Amino acid sequence: MRLEVGNILIKEIQFGDRTEVKEGVLFINREELAKVTGEDDRIASVDVYLAKPGEEIRIIPVKDVIEPRIKVSGKGGVFPGLISKVDTVGEGRTHVLKGVAVVTTGRIVGFQEGLIDMAGPGAEYTPFSKTMNVVLKVEPVEGLHQHEHERVVRLAGLRAAEYLGRAGQHVEPDHVEVYETKPLLEQVKEYPDLPKVVYVYMLQTQGLLHNSYVYGVDARQIIPTFIYPTEVMDGAVVSGNCVSACDKNPTYIHQNNPVIQDLYERHGKDLNFIGCVITNENVTLSDKERSSNMTAKLVEFLGADGVIISEEGFGNPDTDLVMNCYKIEEKGIKTVLITDEYAGRDGASQSLADSTEKGDAVVSTGNANEIIKLPPMKTVIGYPEVADIIAGGTEGSLGEDGSITAELQIIIGSTNELGYGLLTAKGR
Amino acid sequence: MVHMCTVVPISLTVGANRIVPTVAIPHPLGNPSLNREDEKKLRRKLVEKALNALQTEVSGQTVFE
Repeated sequence: MRLEVGNILIKEIQFGDRTEVKEGVLFINREELAKVTGEDDRIASVDVYLAKPGEEIRIIPVKDVIEPRIKVSGKGGVFPGLISKVDTVGEGRTHVLKGVAVVTTGRIVGFQEGLIDMAGPGAEYTPFSKTMNVVLKVEPVEGLHQHEHERVVRLAGLRAAEYLGRAGQHVEPDHVEVYETKPLLEQVKEYPDLPKVVYVYMLQTQGLLHNSYVYGVDARQIIPTFIYPTEVMDGAVVSGNCVSACDKNPTYIHQNNPVIQDLYERHGKDLNFIGCVITNENVTLSDKERSSNMTAKLVEFLGADGVIISEEGFGNPDTDLVMNCYKIEEKGIKTVLITDEYAGRDGASQSLADSTEKGDAVVSTGNANEIIKLPPMKTVIGYPEVADIIAGGTEGSLGEDGSITAELQIIIGSTNELGYGLLTAKGR
Repeated sequence: MVHMCTVVPISLTVGANRIVPTVAIPHPLGNPSLNREDEKKLRRKLVEKALNALQTEVSGQTVFE
């Protein structure tokens, strides 16, 4: 599968009479965007705001972040199985409005509920303080069940991202990246002397507004399977949102998965990137056993010499991570794990809920329990009062002056386990 | 002591002696997909299993399947 990703570098976003890209500026017809986003009789209203890097704006609670993309050639459309037909994507050409993100917000709490600060110390923790954000406040009709509410907001964000992406369909990109993964036997033959690396891509699937979607299917229901990395770039994997915003993957990070990016970077140089095995993190032990068995079997079948495993979330999914690790290691295949830590506010507690001696190579993306203090912002888009009830916050987190004192986990992407976050550590 | 939990490996990791596996993480001692009577039966069965486990001498970590 071969995909050309054409990046159109956007320098500025502003409202305008029609939605279009002109010399690096994205003009957005506010009414039309609101109309497309709200095309669902379960939506009562959509408000559109712009939030740019450096502006004193807080967005809370954030539901999802999505990158505007559009298919230019090749089968299917972005986000297949959700807002496009279920054609297999990942081939041909896709255009990206680089530097722009769609951010959805709304009153519902209980899924992807963190915050983004566009300025101040909070901005240092989230990658989405660096993007020019088109923020959509989506409110549903009265009486909508919360699962339905989640779905409605999720699809609204995807429609908005596609609508904006369409503005780049006929624009010449500033640069084009080419990604290619061949069918297994050909791919192995292409670089016969390089170690074969498979990426085990764990998806959050805890139910109760904690799901991920693959070609529109709730990933809770999948048996682990192979997916070409370029399919992911076209939106085959979509966030169904989850609490504890720091280490859940918004759709934007799936689209730009840095593990995939870095493996392609070294593909053909010092490793042979075979592709991704997607698996889930379910809530029963038998599901965990089945999925990790299948994952290890598939990885072995693909002939991997080494595997990178990324977790999504924490707590009981640590068990899925550990099972994937030791079952793959038992087959004589090396693993490296990527996870964050819940090591207590002082960092002294056990970092993961489960453990294995086979896990001898782990990359940490940070301690989500660390306490942070965020000063008030001039403008708040959304509902600041949820600071007291979102994961990582407690009663009293929201100060009278609008400041927030809470655990790092309230910030979207702050300890992202695909490595998209901004935290780094240096040895002394 | 008996530890009733869904993710038995975590219970083993933290060192529980008597472990009774339960239903699922969001509802360890119940199952919302069952009707009221069947769920009551399930709950009683799990609690009785735990009480039996409490009265059983063990010489090491034991999972009561």
